[in-house]
Amino acid sequence: MPKDYDKDAYPEPPRQTPLVDKQTALPNPALILSKLFYYSVDLPVTTFRGVIEGIQGDKKSHYYHQAFRRVPELTECQEGDYLCYYEAEMQWRRDYKVDQEIVKVIQERLRACQQREGHSYKQNCGIELQQFNQVSKAFHSRYGDLGAYASSRKCLMKQKERMMEEAQKA
Amino acid sequence: MVGMSVLRTVAAFTARLNPLKQPYLSTNLLSRAVARSEQVVVRHGSHGKRMFIIKPTDFYDRRFLHLLKYYILLTGIPVAALVTSVNVFIGEAELAEVPEGYEPEHWEYYKHPITRWIARTFYDSPVKDYEKMMALIQIEAEKAEMRQKQLDVRRHMREKGDGPWFQIKTLDKGLIDHSPKSSPDN
Repeated sequence: MPKDYDKDAYPEPPRQTPLVDKQTALPNPALILSKLFYYSVDLPVTTFRGVIEGIQGDKKSHYYHQAFRRVPELTECQEGDYLCYYEAEMQWRRDYKVDQEIVKVIQERLRACQQREGHSYKQNCGIELQQFNQVSKAFHSRYGDLGAYASSRKCLMKQKERMMEEAQKA
Repeated sequence: MVGMSVLRTVAAFTARLNPLKQPYLSTNLLSRAVARSEQVVVRHGSHGKRMFIIKPTDFYDRRFLHLLKYYILLTGIPVAALVTSVNVFIGEAELAEVPEGYEPEHWEYYKHPITRWIARTFYDSPVKDYEKMMALIQIEAEKAEMRQKQLDVRRHMREKGDGPWFQIKTLDKGLIDHSPKSSPDN
């Protein structure tokens, strides 16, 4: 299987499943179903994968993540320097995509936390909830309502409006 | 027993009255056995009597579905076989850290081998595309600058009149005949 992400970078919280405390002699249906699933689905699929990887051999090709250099932003461009505008625009688009992925990661964490905790999520998921609120507020204030034709210029103008509002409030 | 004989007589009476009666034999009313008259069950050696079933034509529908399946599978099966063999025998790439001092080729940023092949064979690298776009932008910027400069120069030369443009040629001064005006008392 292709490697998952680095598990140390985003550690899962310690498992909170209680120890099995069987008090009846009746069989546990959850255990039966999980064993059934394992033998009927998991094991055949894993062996099939093993067979295929055996056929493929060890000469694996690799793929990498592209790293982009930072270029001057729109505020640091001279007026009329269209090349600088273009580079700043491309950099802003990449940053927009990265920010969208960040929001998705935080959302996924909150969703996982809610799934784990069940009905007591309001009490136990405080950190994830606070992070999600912070991140989504920040994203909305920076990129929200820019629309489908968002560009770095529009984002800059939105920032200007924000700063003007703050200056008026103060 | 008496009830049974009463029932039999009642059944015989209703059978006589009912116009829809079947030709029950009078002895077999309770068992409803029919006399085997002309309804003989024939046993064939084949799959029963051949029937000419009358229904609307399904020729066109079946022809359409047959041709649809044919033309879809004509290229579908080779493509499916190709993709399956690529996935089984070549396999996807694995994510790795960029080694020190190594610049990966532009196709090495993709996972699936067919995507890599397409990026290697047909597409330019994204760096090259970026540079092409920047070249276009520079050309357009220079054109715009030149056009603006030309308009400014036109305006200046019209206003001041000391440049080479907007000069209207007049007659040569030497051709003017001053003789009628040269002596004042003429």
